[in-house]
Amino acid sequence: MDERIDQTKKTGWAAFIVRTRWLWVVLGLALTVGMGMGLGKLGFNPDARVFFAEENPDRVALDAFEAEFAKDDNLILVMNAKEGGLFEPEILSAIGDLTEKAWLLPHVRRVDSLTNFQHTYATGDEMIVRDLVPDPANITAEDAAEAREIALTRPELVHSLIDPDARFGAMQVMFRLPGKNPETEVPMIVEETQALAAEFRAAHPDIELRLTGSVMINNQFAESGQDDAGSLTPLMFGAILLIILIAFRSLLGMLMTVLVIAMSAVIGLGALGWSGVPLNSVTVLAPLIIMTLAVASVVHMLASVRQTMVETPDRREWARVALDEHGGEIAVACITTAIGFLALNFSISPPFRQLGNIVAVGILGALFLTLTFLPALIAILPMKRRTALAATDRIMLPIAEFVIGWRKPLLIGMSAIVILFASGIPKLALEDDFVRYFDERYEFRRDSDYFERNLGGMNIMEYALPAGRSDGINDPAYLASVKDFTEWLRDQPEITHVRSMTDVIQRLNMNMHADDPAMMKLPENEMAAAQFLFLYELSLGYGMDLTDQINVDRSAMRISASMAEATTSDMLALDAKAQAWLADNAPDIAIAPTGMSQVFNLIAYRDVRAMLSGTVLALVAISFLILLILRDVKLGLISLIPNLIPAAMAFGIWGYSVGAVTLAIAVVIAMTLGIVVDDTVHFLSKYKEGKRLGMTPEDAVRHSFSKVGMALFVTTFALVAGFAILSTSGFAVNGDMAKLTALTISLALVADFLLLPALLITIDRRDTMTASLKTAPAAIAALLGLGMLAAPSPASAQSAEAKGLSIVQEAERRDLGWGDFTNDGEMILRDSRGNETRRVWRGMNLERPATAGEGDWSVIVFSAPRDISGTATLTQAKIEPADDDQWLYLPAVKRVKRISSSNRTGKFVGSEFSFEDLGSQEVEDNTYKWLRDEACPGGTGLTCHVVEGYPKNARSGYSKRVSWVDTTNYNQHKTEFYNRRGDLEKTLTATGYQQYVGKYWRPSRLDMQNVQTGKSTTLMQSNYNFGTGMSEGDFNAQRLPRLSR
Amino acid sequence: MMTRYHAICPLHPSGGGLGWGGHSACDTVTSGKIPLPASPRNGGRGHTALAAILTLTLLATPTAAEELLGADFAELRGEVSVETILFPEGPLFAGQDHNSLSFAFEPTGTLEWNDVEVLGGADITASIRPFLRIDTADEERTHFDLREAKLDLRFGNTDVTIGNDIVFWGKTEIDQIVDIVNQVDAVEGTDGEDKLGQPMVAIRRILEFGDFSGQASVFYFPYFRERTFLGEESRFRSGLLVDGDDARYETGAEEWTPSFAARLAGFYGDFDVGFHAYHGLSRDPAFEVSSATLIGGQIVPTSLRPVYGRITQVGFDGQYTSGATLWKAEAIGRFDQRNLAFEEEDYVAAIAGVEHTLYGIGGTNFDLGLIAEYAYDSRGDEALTPFQNDAVIGARLALNDAQDTSALLTAAIDTETAETALRLEGERRLGDSFKLSIVGQTFLNTDDASFLDDLRDDHSLRLTLSAFW
Repeated sequence: MDERIDQTKKTGWAAFIVRTRWLWVVLGLALTVGMGMGLGKLGFNPDARVFFAEENPDRVALDAFEAEFAKDDNLILVMNAKEGGLFEPEILSAIGDLTEKAWLLPHVRRVDSLTNFQHTYATGDEMIVRDLVPDPANITAEDAAEAREIALTRPELVHSLIDPDARFGAMQVMFRLPGKNPETEVPMIVEETQALAAEFRAAHPDIELRLTGSVMINNQFAESGQDDAGSLTPLMFGAILLIILIAFRSLLGMLMTVLVIAMSAVIGLGALGWSGVPLNSVTVLAPLIIMTLAVASVVHMLASVRQTMVETPDRREWARVALDEHGGEIAVACITTAIGFLALNFSISPPFRQLGNIVAVGILGALFLTLTFLPALIAILPMKRRTALAATDRIMLPIAEFVIGWRKPLLIGMSAIVILFASGIPKLALEDDFVRYFDERYEFRRDSDYFERNLGGMNIMEYALPAGRSDGINDPAYLASVKDFTEWLRDQPEITHVRSMTDVIQRLNMNMHADDPAMMKLPENEMAAAQFLFLYELSLGYGMDLTDQINVDRSAMRISASMAEATTSDMLALDAKAQAWLADNAPDIAIAPTGMSQVFNLIAYRDVRAMLSGTVLALVAISFLILLILRDVKLGLISLIPNLIPAAMAFGIWGYSVGAVTLAIAVVIAMTLGIVVDDTVHFLSKYKEGKRLGMTPEDAVRHSFSKVGMALFVTTFALVAGFAILSTSGFAVNGDMAKLTALTISLALVADFLLLPALLITIDRRDTMTASLKTAPAAIAALLGLGMLAAPSPASAQSAEAKGLSIVQEAERRDLGWGDFTNDGEMILRDSRGNETRRVWRGMNLERPATAGEGDWSVIVFSAPRDISGTATLTQAKIEPADDDQWLYLPAVKRVKRISSSNRTGKFVGSEFSFEDLGSQEVEDNTYKWLRDEACPGGTGLTCHVVEGYPKNARSGYSKRVSWVDTTNYNQHKTEFYNRRGDLEKTLTATGYQQYVGKYWRPSRLDMQNVQTGKSTTLMQSNYNFGTGMSEGDFNAQRLPRLSR
Repeated sequence: MMTRYHAICPLHPSGGGLGWGGHSACDTVTSGKIPLPASPRNGGRGHTALAAILTLTLLATPTAAEELLGADFAELRGEVSVETILFPEGPLFAGQDHNSLSFAFEPTGTLEWNDVEVLGGADITASIRPFLRIDTADEERTHFDLREAKLDLRFGNTDVTIGNDIVFWGKTEIDQIVDIVNQVDAVEGTDGEDKLGQPMVAIRRILEFGDFSGQASVFYFPYFRERTFLGEESRFRSGLLVDGDDARYETGAEEWTPSFAARLAGFYGDFDVGFHAYHGLSRDPAFEVSSATLIGGQIVPTSLRPVYGRITQVGFDGQYTSGATLWKAEAIGRFDQRNLAFEEEDYVAAIAGVEHTLYGIGGTNFDLGLIAEYAYDSRGDEALTPFQNDAVIGARLALNDAQDTSALLTAAIDTETAETALRLEGERRLGDSFKLSIVGQTFLNTDDASFLDDLRDDHSLRLTLSAFW
């Protein structure tokens, strides 16, 4: 044993780090500074829509809806006339004044208020459209009473802009955000609105004014994000410092911890800055999470130092032993944690993907620092030595004895508790309401609740009911369906208000019939409906148009159903009823709802499904890592139990106690998995070490407790404290995530301390043989058994652009029947400075009959540069999009290797020719379009067809190729290659055409010029030799060594 | 707890130095054979022949050959290289030199005659590729080999090869357990990829069965090549020296024992497969103690000798190409092979893995290949190969630049002992005719009882500068 320690002292990695400690201090600082420079590039995106990925189908539907109607970025100003109703002259004039001022807010599109409500009535044969309160400044009490009477009869207003008692009123300001500068647009609107509101409140102390609406929501996302980052960070630091101080009683230890965790956070956040992605309300938590997790690694090192210092005063030895004994486990712990976080990339919600990536980078940064920078500091800084064991170490042994003594009751009791808790999982309900993402500490939430209690609903289901044709909305049958649907919706108790154009159309019909109340119904024919609407639109005031109600070609009308204090399940249930009603009564106008609420309603549901595969993948990867480090299948399987049950228990407890959970739940399992396995890995590897030293299972458990018990306890405490602090966030997505994580991690410690040891002893007692399973056959079977991909079916060449196709087919036809040929090739690669490099080869080509459904075969054997001389490739081309079959022969090891040919866009031997440029081009690989005929480039006097070709294979590097094919011999003289973005990338010029065997034309020189990089490659082909009599047997992969020469 | 076995334990002289052996009950080795006195070194073998061939090769310039021999094609090219291996740590065993400097010379001459009428219109290729290594420190490493000296005759779909040649079988990356034709030139590199030329007569024929396209081959090997072993002065060796020239055969005809092989290799759609059978002398020797001394009344071995016996092997190698992902596997069953404990044992071994290439990473022209393989050998600790229960992960980076810069990083991890061998290979062409290669190797976490423990101080950086013409 002694000899062994001496050996590692001299040679080990740990000793190396300690010896070169100053280097690592400098490197650690340099890495942090380098990554930290990215911090300057960080921005913040407050839009609530960051939660929706571009590809989220609900988001796609919402975008389509908003493109057709309008994007509702709105502000709602809620008013309450404290004494009496709203319809007092002075109050109405105040509202009128506020309405005018609201028009001056930035980016405003429309203002809907009581005073400018478009009231219609008839005067004889004439229909009048006017503001409800035409002149608010000079309104009389009679006018006000009249306005009240009108307003309370209008379904458009009641429960939307006024309550039925006319005590509460609202004004809705709509904005059109340019979206150019999301960081400042919303705050600027909010700031000016609040100034306006303050002015209003000062002038009218008897009117209560509150603000809500989607602009306020976005603003809240930004504010609470900054709130979390600002208020939680100091708390977090404080808690961590306290824990370290109590556990280790060392100021220097605390300092080192702070340094390492802060540097890790800088690395993670700096990486985000460099990537150019702005922060959002979820990713602001990333530095806090990184710091919490980094503490765990630091604690393991410090705990070891604390134990070693009892034995020796040599600081370098403290660092070396800590690295040597715990470095491996810390690395695995950090890597598993990083894997767990990387699995968040499966989330459907981009903020979580970004969170996962930032934290993963931060954790790997922390790992690097913990294994290099920290031990270097330990070896350098004069940390005070203590010679008594830490108190926490002393309490570990009693725990061990307890677990060993009470093993059986613990096993049974814990199993019962696990089952009991986990049974709460079905009680979880997914609840994503963006209003209730923010708790009551925020004014926004209080104001929104106030609005929903007294007036209307913030959650709106948008139905864009299709009429099936242009101008179809005037069809009486359609209008009748819409009216029925509107009325059905109004009958639903959970719905507060339905906005529908049928109300207006019915009223117009009445107005056009001299305000006859019996005519308050839909017009009887299409013409009348169209005319009434047209007349109405002409008379509307500025900004009051109908484009947000009816789409441009008048083929759909929008119904907006508001719900107050509705949960996700309420809304989904209502829509289910609505769909059933539509199917039964109006199948022609049936359509799924959209709107912000609807996207949020479905996001958790979608995310849970998306994260399922991510979680499974993380579980597999992490389990594989555990297997690698434990090298014991049995222990690996046992480790699954304490890794998985904490999350199951935590979810169950949540289900029993809270029930509702936001989309944060989807990511929690993957996230915590990587964290909780750390404890398991540390415990099991020490247990295994004990077993290897010949200990009984009981003694091995004691060994584990004494070696890592304290560290596990302290790290769990630190992690739980960190996440508990995060859980005080007023933003429910972050709060729920942190609460569930804290709960899961605490339960993991319980499982690792109480259940795992009992399990280990029980299993190892039963089977003392400890013969490890042979994993190999299973592993090989799994590798071989993995699924094959179905071959894509050959595409049939069918193109509307017949002329383009026929030109290419003619060119192909004229080149048919060449059989085989050999030639010599030389490539001259020039970089932008004109430096040249050469490649020389021999080529052999075999034409394959068109009936084979395959492309031609070719062999290339290089002869220069000399070091790759003899390297050969064989390509058996296929029709796109199938990959070619390709083999490579490496003469140095005489090896023939099948290689992947899926790389279409890579450059051939570093030239400007990509693999697809050089590959056999078949007619069927592209679709074509003839553009024009013109003189051929290069002054040959020939006329050229100019043909565009569009690759069928999505993996092609090109969006199109434009080719100049002469009308005489059908030779290509020039080709322009447009990259995927549609920009011209390369130009190929073919010159020196010569005819061989009286039929086949071949260019002697091809010049490929990359117009974007200035690099060029010249390909010269000479010494063509047709009809050499080669056969398929010469193009056999097994024969490549022979062809290589 | 754990005795330091290597004092009496033989190394794994397999040449596949990327790995290690497991714990072995190697005391059984001594029970195999009574210690024998070392035989005198068989030095200087073939050096006269070497001089003659070199002169001939140099004289036979392509133009002269074309004119004198009426050839349709003649070419003389080759490579000279200088190599140094740097070791940051001092040697572990007495006699080992600190660092190493050596030179290699490898010309290749080729002549081709097409449609030779006397042979019924066959094409003939004659190739010769001698190899000479001169090492300034280790006499055993200074050696000469005829990598190739052969005639290839082509009759339509049939090929016949007569002479020295190197034949590669296999699909996996980390090791090729099916590759049995050529003996390892173990003094050349630590990865076992350098092979000695094997005298043979081979007949190959192209075969097409429906969609299967391939080649069937039969081989006759009249002569056996002994493995080379590093001498006392070299690093990368075990504490106990193996004298390769002192080999013992378990067949009467010794190195003239004939061996035979047959192979069918080809592809069917996206599957490339190969099957083979081999009967003859094993390329992998077992070891017995060849000399020993008495220390404190105990017999302590001082050197080992390789023992070659007759075996039979059948095997399979396959690859499934799925886009950028290659799934690979090899498996063999071998009968009558002596193991590390010098007992005859029938065993199976397998390697399986996957290679996935990410093309154009990050919008650049770089390709990154990710490799993961797992090697299994049913003999476990008694295996003659270091890869008995090992996982290998690796990454291959190709910059695809004009200099063909590339790098390969592999980590081979023993799943039982966590011994890890890290290896980094990199190469880049300098100008048109020079190439710089580096191979860095380090061994972490070596296990007391394993062969790799003898290499624990042999962290190394091998620098090779080659010139081509």
